[in-house]
Amino acid sequence: MGNLIAEAVSMGWMALAIIAGLLVYFQVSISDPAAKKRAVFKTFIGMVSCLLLFMAIANYKTNFYGESRLLPVSLVMITVTTFVMALYFTNLSALLKIGGMMFFIAAFLSGYGNWLPQVEGGFPPVEEKKTWDSMTPEQLADEGEKIIFGGVGKNKEQGAIGKGQCPLCHAFHAGMLGERAPNLLGIPERAGQILEDPKYSKGDPSKREYEQKEAFPGSGTAESGLEYIAESHACPSCYVVAGYGVKGTNDKQSPMPAIHKPPISLSLPELAAVDIWLYSREGRDAPSFEEIVKAYEKFIPEADRPKQEEEKAAGATSLMADGTEPVDQILAKAQCVACHTIPGIPGAIGTIGPKLEEGTTAALRLKDPEYKGTAKSATEYIMESIVDPSAFVVKPFPDNTMPKVFGQKLSAGALKKIVDYLSQVKTGAPPPKIS
Amino acid sequence: MGLLTGKRVFSIMALCMMVGLLLLPIVVALPSPAIGEEAPAVGDEAKKDGEKVEKGRDVYYKTEGIVVGAPAPKTTDGPKDYPRYNFESRVLIWFANQQHLYYGSFVLAVPIFCMIIEFMGVVTKDKALAKRYDQLAYDFIKISLTAYSLTAILGGILIFTFLTLYPAFFSYLSGIFRPVMHIYALMFVAESGTLYIYYYGWDKMREGFLKWIHLSMSVVLNIIGTLLMFLANSWIGFMMSPAGVDEQGRFLGNIWHVIHTALWNPLNLHRILGNMAFGGGVVAAYAAYKFLASKTDEDRAHYDWMGYIAMALGVAFLIPLPFAGYWLMREVYAYRQQMGITLMGGLLAWLFIIQATMIGILFLSTNYYLWQAMGRMRGAEKYQRYIKYLVFLLACGYIVFITPHTMVMSPAELKAMGGQQHPVLGNYGVMSAKNGGINVIITTTVLSFVWYMRGNKVSTVSWAKFGNIFMGVFFVCAYINIIWLAVYGYYIPANVRVGLSVPQVATTLSCLFFMFALNSVMMRGAKQMGPIEWGKISARSQYALIMLATAFTWMMGLMGYIRSSVRLFWHVNEIMRDNSPWAYTHTVGFAANMISANVLFFWISILFVFWLGSLTAKKVPVESKAGIPGSVPQPAASH
Repeated sequence: MGNLIAEAVSMGWMALAIIAGLLVYFQVSISDPAAKKRAVFKTFIGMVSCLLLFMAIANYKTNFYGESRLLPVSLVMITVTTFVMALYFTNLSALLKIGGMMFFIAAFLSGYGNWLPQVEGGFPPVEEKKTWDSMTPEQLADEGEKIIFGGVGKNKEQGAIGKGQCPLCHAFHAGMLGERAPNLLGIPERAGQILEDPKYSKGDPSKREYEQKEAFPGSGTAESGLEYIAESHACPSCYVVAGYGVKGTNDKQSPMPAIHKPPISLSLPELAAVDIWLYSREGRDAPSFEEIVKAYEKFIPEADRPKQEEEKAAGATSLMADGTEPVDQILAKAQCVACHTIPGIPGAIGTIGPKLEEGTTAALRLKDPEYKGTAKSATEYIMESIVDPSAFVVKPFPDNTMPKVFGQKLSAGALKKIVDYLSQVKTGAPPPKIS
Repeated sequence: MGLLTGKRVFSIMALCMMVGLLLLPIVVALPSPAIGEEAPAVGDEAKKDGEKVEKGRDVYYKTEGIVVGAPAPKTTDGPKDYPRYNFESRVLIWFANQQHLYYGSFVLAVPIFCMIIEFMGVVTKDKALAKRYDQLAYDFIKISLTAYSLTAILGGILIFTFLTLYPAFFSYLSGIFRPVMHIYALMFVAESGTLYIYYYGWDKMREGFLKWIHLSMSVVLNIIGTLLMFLANSWIGFMMSPAGVDEQGRFLGNIWHVIHTALWNPLNLHRILGNMAFGGGVVAAYAAYKFLASKTDEDRAHYDWMGYIAMALGVAFLIPLPFAGYWLMREVYAYRQQMGITLMGGLLAWLFIIQATMIGILFLSTNYYLWQAMGRMRGAEKYQRYIKYLVFLLACGYIVFITPHTMVMSPAELKAMGGQQHPVLGNYGVMSAKNGGINVIITTTVLSFVWYMRGNKVSTVSWAKFGNIFMGVFFVCAYINIIWLAVYGYYIPANVRVGLSVPQVATTLSCLFFMFALNSVMMRGAKQMGPIEWGKISARSQYALIMLATAFTWMMGLMGYIRSSVRLFWHVNEIMRDNSPWAYTHTVGFAANMISANVLFFWISILFVFWLGSLTAKKVPVESKAGIPGSVPQPAASH
């Protein structure tokens, strides 16, 4: 609170000084004691309101990107300010009350938004270089589970979802109703049966009544269950399970996107890993990696196969952390823990650099006469000290010890998470929650 | 009568000519659809000549076309594709876009109000009332004129922001939409010209045949404005559900496909209704401000009436808005199921909980205003004692409506709760029940309106008793049907209960149209218990209008954010990827703070616009105020 008042005074001292000047002016210029008392009281109220207003602005300015849920409090302060002022400045009463009402509504809705569980959509997943050929079937199955559910052992966790986005529509366990798409339990066995369905028209795609006859001209139809699974990923509208088509198309068109194309864009080895998991989780022997890839090659032409190298050129590549990890992992990956002590982060007990309690120390360092950086707020200071460590060097630690590459090696999301966390670490206070 | 009809016919012909002339540039500038349709033929011809033409397949229409555009750029994070200040570029573009949209919506909505009110003034037989309507329409357009300049300025700022912060993306988009953008600019010139002639010609074209021409110009103005909005909608429609390009984002020569994407039509309808509701809210807030600041009874009466009309028009467009939203969502699901799930049951689901809360707030505020407004009518006391039952119905509907079903949470929270659905609440918040909740709210609002419309009147038609009983039974049956279907939804599978929304909505719409129509017939020539005492409404009611306007503004910001962020890390969905450092979705809290900042900036700036408008205030004609309050003819909109 003290910091907030100091920040408010430093921002609004001119306005406060003008009101104080008015206070003195009324004291000397008004002779009628009642009028003088009234004028002095009004200016005093004006001063309090002005201070509250600048405290609100200072709070907003300092915590705009922070995790602090107190931002709406600023708006409430402004509401109080306007209503208090409306009481004493009757000629502007209507305008002030309306303004106050609007600030109150905004405060309520902001508060509501901040009170709800905070879910942040992460960055798109970064491609990792994997040597698929040398993986064992178990490792491939684990990779498949990661692609479907986001992690190994997560297949029974509700809401778990990975790059493949399959659980958005499909269920995977007995008794779970897939409302939007079929339950995939037993699909290795069912796939072979589907080939016998006259509607599938095995061997003669021209007789199919679906939106698409073939995955691409000349691809033909599947000859085995394994190929059917590959075809259903590459060309979902080549055969639609009854009741799961796009509404109004009489099950002629599937709502499922082609999995090798955007937005999902799974590569052939990734698709193979998914299939291996589908087989192995039911205790079946999965076909070999090469067999599955070959099945996909039948239905996905060369030109349409996602090229991992190209994606790498377009996206982040050699990042230490992409921002999807929790902050403790980001700090560990970037090796911050080796040199700094950071309360609340396991293993962060380094002493080569200063202890990071930026919630307390950042504001003090900004006021240090030797500070020559460009940051104006605590969060800006923390960001600056990561990307440009020489902008201010904490005594007695030497300059040029900390690498200057973190601006390039950490994604914006990762940097933001570090800044958010460190700005909440305060001396003597319990460490903040890891997000 | 014959002469009058002749004049009307002539003015309609003049109007058609004006529309034809204004649309001429579009017709001339749109040869591309034809080319697009014939493109394969041209391609075949070229093939015959031995030339090599590259063809692509439309990602949405699945038709083949000759590639005439460059592929979507693969951007990288750096100063070339994403130059920036020391601030998040996305927040800057968000701010610029939102402010432009607020003002754009306002200046497109207000001329529609003017057209309706001016028309009411022209057709009404009561001369004093006709003048009041005319003055009100003039007041409306005067407010929008200053806002119009600001809209253009904000549009310029928006384009500069795009050019300087997202050059690669804007270059790609403008490459595809080049002819559309030129037509847009031409239409903007036409809109400005028509608006200025409409405004400055008001006094000169006040009487007789010229008045009809003037009224016709408002129709032209609105046609141009609506087309402008449709064109702008095509850009956002393309970003969400691209069409007319191949998988690499290369334009295939058919500009109509690029415009007419999967979501264009539902977006058009949703936005036009949303703009009207928003415009009504802003004008109602203006009237509330003037009412609260008024020093005389005459002014209070005038602004009370103005607030009522604006609110009624705004709410008239708010009522169908949820249905238009339903259509939009259905089309989103049809286009990409994942997109729909991300919106309604995934990452953005919590924002829909906020939206549900706000829809409830809007309807509660509207009902509260109407109940307060009944206080200025003699004879309306007979309905006051039943208001508590309406409050009960609204509260029940609201509680059901905001009950969430599937929740997006962190793994730890999910574990603590034992699944994605709350053990108790999860059983209740199903779609058919929520539909029941909102339909009960809307039906109750219709009932409040019906009570307000007959507040100080007693029907004199011979079948009045039967009519009253019929209306009562109709409303009771409607409530029973809606609630029964809401409960029945618990006993049937989810994919079946989704279909229950159709009979529920049909019931509400039947109440809306049939009961309003029946009530109007019953109240024709009705006996008046006393006049509407304009200006005698409580100050609290005006705060309900402020609440309505602010909530509209906030909800517009919220829905715009949801619509935009559903693209996740794509500039153009599945075509052009966002590789900037801001390719992630903010938390609900951050979005809420940003929306609040946008809303407050808009309201502070529009209050400045109101103040500017008051500097050139035109006095309300003396005769139009004569007799207020008490003997003032009652506006047709209210009864």
